[in-house]
Amino acid sequence: MRRPLGRGLHGLGLLLTLVFALFPFYWMVSSSFKAQADLLASPPVWLFRPTLDHYAAIWADQKVTTAVVNSLVVASLTTLLAVVLGTPAAYALARFEFRGKADLWFWFISNRMISPIVLALPVYLLARQAGLLDTYLVLVLIYLTFTLPIVVWICTDQFRAIPPDLEQAARLDGARQFDVFWRIYLPLGAPGIAVSAIFSFIFSWNELLYALVLTRRDVQTAPVVATSFMSGYELPWGKIMATGTLIVLPVTIFALLVSRHMIRGLTMGATK
Amino acid sequence: MSYLALDQVVKRFGAHTVIDGVSLAAEQGEFVVFVGPSGCGKSTLLRLVAGLEEVSAGDVHIAGRCVTDVDPAARGVAMVFQSYALYPHMSVRQNMAFGMRMARAPKPEIERRITEAARILQIENLLDRRPRELSGGQRQRVAIGRAIVRDPKIFLFDEPLSNLDAELRGQMRIEIARLHRTFGATMVYVTHDQVEAMTLADRIVVLRAGRVEQIGSPAQLYDSPANTFVAGFIGSPRMNFLTGRVAGLEDDAVRIEHPAVGGVLRVPRRAARAIEVNAPVTIGLRPEHLTLAEAPARLALAGDFAENLGATSQLYAQAPTGETLTIQVPGRESVARGEALQVGFDPARVHLFDAGGQAI
Ligand SMILES: Nc1ncnc2c1ncn2[C@@H]1O[C@H](COP(=O)(O)OP(=O)(O)O)[C@@H](O)[C@H]1O
Ligand SMILES: [Mg+2]
Repeated sequence: MRRPLGRGLHGLGLLLTLVFALFPFYWMVSSSFKAQADLLASPPVWLFRPTLDHYAAIWADQKVTTAVVNSLVVASLTTLLAVVLGTPAAYALARFEFRGKADLWFWFISNRMISPIVLALPVYLLARQAGLLDTYLVLVLIYLTFTLPIVVWICTDQFRAIPPDLEQAARLDGARQFDVFWRIYLPLGAPGIAVSAIFSFIFSWNELLYALVLTRRDVQTAPVVATSFMSGYELPWGKIMATGTLIVLPVTIFALLVSRHMIRGLTMGATK
Repeated sequence: MSYLALDQVVKRFGAHTVIDGVSLAAEQGEFVVFVGPSGCGKSTLLRLVAGLEEVSAGDVHIAGRCVTDVDPAARGVAMVFQSYALYPHMSVRQNMAFGMRMARAPKPEIERRITEAARILQIENLLDRRPRELSGGQRQRVAIGRAIVRDPKIFLFDEPLSNLDAELRGQMRIEIARLHRTFGATMVYVTHDQVEAMTLADRIVVLRAGRVEQIGSPAQLYDSPANTFVAGFIGSPRMNFLTGRVAGLEDDAVRIEHPAVGGVLRVPRRAARAIEVNAPVTIGLRPEHLTLAEAPARLALAGDFAENLGATSQLYAQAPTGETLTIQVPGRESVARGEALQVGFDPARVHLFDAGGQAI
């Protein structure tokens, strides 16, 4: 990598990867600002007069705004609960020996392996029976079955990397179990917690299958509404692109917000 | 009752017995050192005192109270870990305050104690730094400071200097000795380094495979090791061992034979252990008790090579039986390979051990 040619190739590779990854994103965002004529132009136009018409249209469409709010509520609640419930479980799995620990661990990992579609019908029947169809609660509960294992998995790994000496020092310092968890494990596990929170949020935010099956009118989420645009005779490209942008936006902002905590090396200096 | 007392303490991990019936007592203000090879159970024993491990059998008493079933925090001990175990997300000040905050001590009192400890350890200017912004030696001081702030009944140290370079280790060793003198605190200190043990300890506990081999002052262990293990472990360079034979017995002496001695050597007895004529015997001679000068007894050896350490030299030589000996002499001596070497010693300095390795 010391030779200029090697560096140049490396940079070129990075650039290509970046373009490949970001181009669809760019296309969606830029299309959402194009007038209908520019949208359908062939060959595609690169320079155009931006318009906020599509955003105005979906802003006026109460279905979309409600759906975005619904998605925000469901994803935030799910993420919050997954972290609140998952981190103590991860602490226990990382630091305590108890009967059935291996089985519990396997269950956490393996229930991610079942294809969701297999469970869709039984879950639908259960939800209907319980009168939970079209509620926030049912979505949050079903999303927790996916996000909780993610949090437990990532955080257990993170907590295991914390030197056990720290916990013992804290115990000698008079910290009770909860103090150790709260004052040592949570702050030092922040990178893992942040990563798992992002995954939980993104998963809940993007989830389509269960949202489609379990909601009707009141708590339809953004992805459900976005798909509903595709049922007419013509495709409202502008609206779809604007909705898509709106769906991606919160996830991006959220990821940027917590990325500060993802920086590794927080535990450096603990030992030696 | 002693200030710290262990009574037949046993610790098992599963079927593996790591501490096998250890009893010992230490007085208030004493500096006790657990020393032994790696894996012999020193850390485990210290953690049993701290309460970080539960004993499988036996009792621990601190300050006249049985603390076998008492929580670590309530035992009134503070520990300095080998890894320092500083909380990485807290400043030095917060690290030192943590214990007292947990005990809900008033803020001014916490502040006063931190200031005092920081002054003693000369870390006042580090109080607002994070552990990762400190050098190894500074982390070590902070770890000790965190212990001092808690004003414990007993200080526990687990190989606190093993992560430092040689020079810093020497400095910190002196500093710990000074702290002990200033505070008059009871300290239990674990090390595998016999130099640390000899220089710091009032009382040394030599451990091997979870058992106590000998307890005594540094001088006692050096002058009268109870067995070959202690004899070999305490003292540097290591004691030389030759295998000889008992030629005869007197009231207060043993006559022994070894080819290097050339005849029979009369060695005054140190212990009252029974031994029989013709039994094999291990002859222990410390390198620093051998000399190239005139002496009451001599060994005929063949030189091997020499190492000059500046003030002293270490000569290596072989007995006719093939056993290698180290000889430590003042000044700069050299020896040629195969050169005949007459090495003198005082029979009163000879240590004898029976076939089981016990001093006789
Ligand atoms: N938590 C544990 N579980 C099982 N074995 C252990 C545990 N802690 C220590 N041991 C074993 O106990 C023995 C003594 O360990 P330790 O006290 O750390 O030795 P030292 O400090 O003298 O080097 C070692 O063989 C080690 O493997
Ligand atoms: Mg150890």
